[in-house]
Amino acid sequence: MKTMIALGIKPVDSQERAPGRRWSLLEKVLLGLTPRQYLSQAVRNPMNWILGLAMVVGLPFILERFIFGLGAVTHSSNDYPWGLFLGFGLFCMVPLSASGFMLGTTVEIFGRHDFEPIERLALLNGLLGYLFAVVYLLVDLGQPWRLPYPMTVAFGPAAVLFLVGWHVATYLSVQIAEVSASFFEWMNWLWGKRFIRRIAVGLTVSGIILSTLHQGALGALFTYAPGKIHPLWYSSSFQWIHFFCSSIPGGLCMVIAVSTIVSKTMAWRCDETFKNSLDRLTVSLAKGASMGLITYLTIKLIAVAHDNEWAYLATGWGQWYLFEIFFGVVLPLVLFARGIRYNQVGLIRFAAFVTIFGIVLNRLNTALVAFNWKLYQEIPHWKEIVISLAIFALYVATYRFILYRLPILFAMKPLPQEVPVAAAETVRAHNTPEPAPVAAYRTGLDK
Amino acid sequence: MSGMSRRKFLVTSLAGSAAVTLAPACKAMASGSFEGYPDGMGVLVDLTRCIGCRSCEAACNKEQGLAPPAQSFEDKSVFDQTFHGGQKRRTDENAYTVVNRYDPEGATKPVYRKSQCNHCNEPACLTSCFVNAYTKTREGAVIYNSKVCVGCRNCMIACPFQVPAYSYSSAFNPMIKKCIFCYETRLKNGQPPACVGICPQEALTFGYRDELLKIGRARIKANPDRYVDHIYGESEVGGTAWMYLSSAPFEQVGFDTTMGKEPIINNVKDFLGTVPMVLAIWPALFTGFHLLAKRQEHGTEGDHSNNEES
Amino acid sequence: MRLLVTSLFGIFLTLAAAGLASAAAPPGMVTLDTLSEHFAGVSFDHQLHQDLATCDKCHHHTTGETAEPQCAGCHQGRTTATVACRDCHSTQPFSAAFIREKERDRGRYHIDKPGLKAAYHRNCFNCHEESGGPTGCEDCHAKTPAGTVFYNPGSQSAKPAAGAH
Repeated sequence: MKTMIALGIKPVDSQERAPGRRWSLLEKVLLGLTPRQYLSQAVRNPMNWILGLAMVVGLPFILERFIFGLGAVTHSSNDYPWGLFLGFGLFCMVPLSASGFMLGTTVEIFGRHDFEPIERLALLNGLLGYLFAVVYLLVDLGQPWRLPYPMTVAFGPAAVLFLVGWHVATYLSVQIAEVSASFFEWMNWLWGKRFIRRIAVGLTVSGIILSTLHQGALGALFTYAPGKIHPLWYSSSFQWIHFFCSSIPGGLCMVIAVSTIVSKTMAWRCDETFKNSLDRLTVSLAKGASMGLITYLTIKLIAVAHDNEWAYLATGWGQWYLFEIFFGVVLPLVLFARGIRYNQVGLIRFAAFVTIFGIVLNRLNTALVAFNWKLYQEIPHWKEIVISLAIFALYVATYRFILYRLPILFAMKPLPQEVPVAAAETVRAHNTPEPAPVAAYRTGLDK
Repeated sequence: MSGMSRRKFLVTSLAGSAAVTLAPACKAMASGSFEGYPDGMGVLVDLTRCIGCRSCEAACNKEQGLAPPAQSFEDKSVFDQTFHGGQKRRTDENAYTVVNRYDPEGATKPVYRKSQCNHCNEPACLTSCFVNAYTKTREGAVIYNSKVCVGCRNCMIACPFQVPAYSYSSAFNPMIKKCIFCYETRLKNGQPPACVGICPQEALTFGYRDELLKIGRARIKANPDRYVDHIYGESEVGGTAWMYLSSAPFEQVGFDTTMGKEPIINNVKDFLGTVPMVLAIWPALFTGFHLLAKRQEHGTEGDHSNNEES
Repeated sequence: MRLLVTSLFGIFLTLAAAGLASAAAPPGMVTLDTLSEHFAGVSFDHQLHQDLATCDKCHHHTTGETAEPQCAGCHQGRTTATVACRDCHSTQPFSAAFIREKERDRGRYHIDKPGLKAAYHRNCFNCHEESGGPTGCEDCHAKTPAGTVFYNPGSQSAKPAAGAH
């Protein structure tokens, strides 16, 4: 894509190709390139090959899973019902996708509109994370075609998973609605965007409720297994708070991480507002993440004290626990503190990646490593890893596909107010009198 | 299904979607003190009587129409089998009950322990199931409805006895496989389960759970040297329909003695208790925040784009 | 099928026990086969066992003597009308009717009386184990074809025609 831009091609960032000539849908999808140009840039991009390879390698094993059953591709067993698909796919993807409700709250509820340039990225990150958590879930469920059952056929309202199911489904809808604002803008369906704007506060508040509950509920799922999870990773009183609290830095750091990656790899797609505000926003996000991390650390220690588990720290499990706490929580906290104090954005970005590592480690430890600590340790089947990577590649590819097109990192330039009469036939539908309030979403651009 | 489960009663008594969302908390408050149906049946397993003949395994296999095993039920070499990390045999999709041999310290002869679903008074599998596939029947059995099971396997995570197994090999109709107390074929017709019927030693005593407790105590009292003074399952995780007597300390013959007396669901209550609070408080709280923030904003900036809200 | 076997077994027990009870003198050989299903009946050499142990070792207290202090309080020195196992030990100890009956009879002392099958096995097996007698299933009773199938369901399905061996 960089080569294309060097050749003077400008990717679609407005409704009009030329005055009076609007981009067709196909042109928008192809970023304003000709099919030949599009293909050649896609082939040149090494990332496409890496993602493609991961998906091509994984696909046969996914088919194998659906033809021969879970037993063929996983080490899921009667002792270890849950493997990597849930351990990583569900328990890691969901906290790393808490960004949607975090930034939604910041902007819509607390009125911090200075976070707006990154709000849409955070919302998209939330939506895709949840969507792919569900994809992982579908691969793992014994009978995935029955996924709607808890909502339609049989109800088990006393179960934490019932709550998770309902909330993730509802929250997915909320997030689709939130992200659809970008889609409507891309399609130039301004009525839709206005509608979303109108219900934004409602959506955001329901997002907070649903997120608080199901982020916590994922932790509470493990309180069904008090004897099976090592006491250091288990706390009947605090498990849900641990999961909820750690999802805050998890989501925020994911936004820092993704924004870092996109600002490096698809700088052409980021508009000036995004680029110019990114460092400032990264520091702000880091402040939020630090608050989350320190709360998380405190409650982690309180949990150890509450159940008087100090003696376990002297064991091998204790060392692994301390490793997780040190590298996953304390180290990023120190780095964040330094980065914020001296305004070293690079250090903050590094710390964000470390935090993500810490969250992932915590979830894998809880779901797999410290699970059945009295029995034996299970190592996931290599095909489980291949499938997980393939789905992750699909996640990255989808993420990128959307970022390339929808006005997430840039603002879609709206149609000019006055439509030339000559172009009226091509722009038949454009009779919206006043796109201004919504188009002013990124006020900086209108200047 | 003759017994209307307490859960089902609860569910039916709740109406509407709001109630559905709030229900976890309601359930949590109702649970924890349930001691089983008054006429719930149970089985008292006396390990001092078991001779490891595996007839119960054979009877179970036949009664439940399970796949034939690789080895004959007369083959005693299975007692020497170990799996992953020295694990002994466990229940799986083709064996709803297994007998294992233990050699506790100081014992002159081996102790055999039968394991199967213990049919808890407050089953963790039941409370963890989001499609309510499990039912605790009036007769005491914990049964499972494969027609609604989605296959999340949360019940396997939740079961403190590691009982439910999953038919991982099936791609199109995998389901949970576990002992159902021979509910459909025997228990609901007033018959004891197949394993009890076959046991030559009456190591398995079938009866009303409360009667079995009396019998168990009487055995311990009559032979204090023969038994550990504890009926396993009387109060473990809220009590189970299947209970055990042993000559050896329970932890030496394959029992987890650390699980406590509380039903598993009690561990989840801390979380479930927050659900109604979050549902009730968050909307007002955050809408309030929003209004506060907005007012301030109007005061200072006043021209923000989202002024079309509200 | 099960019902048939069980009832046949019941009839056999009744006969065996009747034989025992009516004889004033101890019998020589007794065939115990009322419960046979997977195993054939037992040809029990009463004479042989009589030489090895005292009566109360098997007959608890019914012959008028008992070494068990728990039993002695009530049963010492009191003979009963029958010494047959089946007259006290039920062939259906877990039938709904029997369990209900026990439940109704609140004052019952013997709440934990084993059924007939367990009474036989525990009496014989435990003593054999202590005194070094044979303890294998087929040391006392031969397996029936039904028993072979029962304990080897795999071989049954592999060779459907071999059910008669």
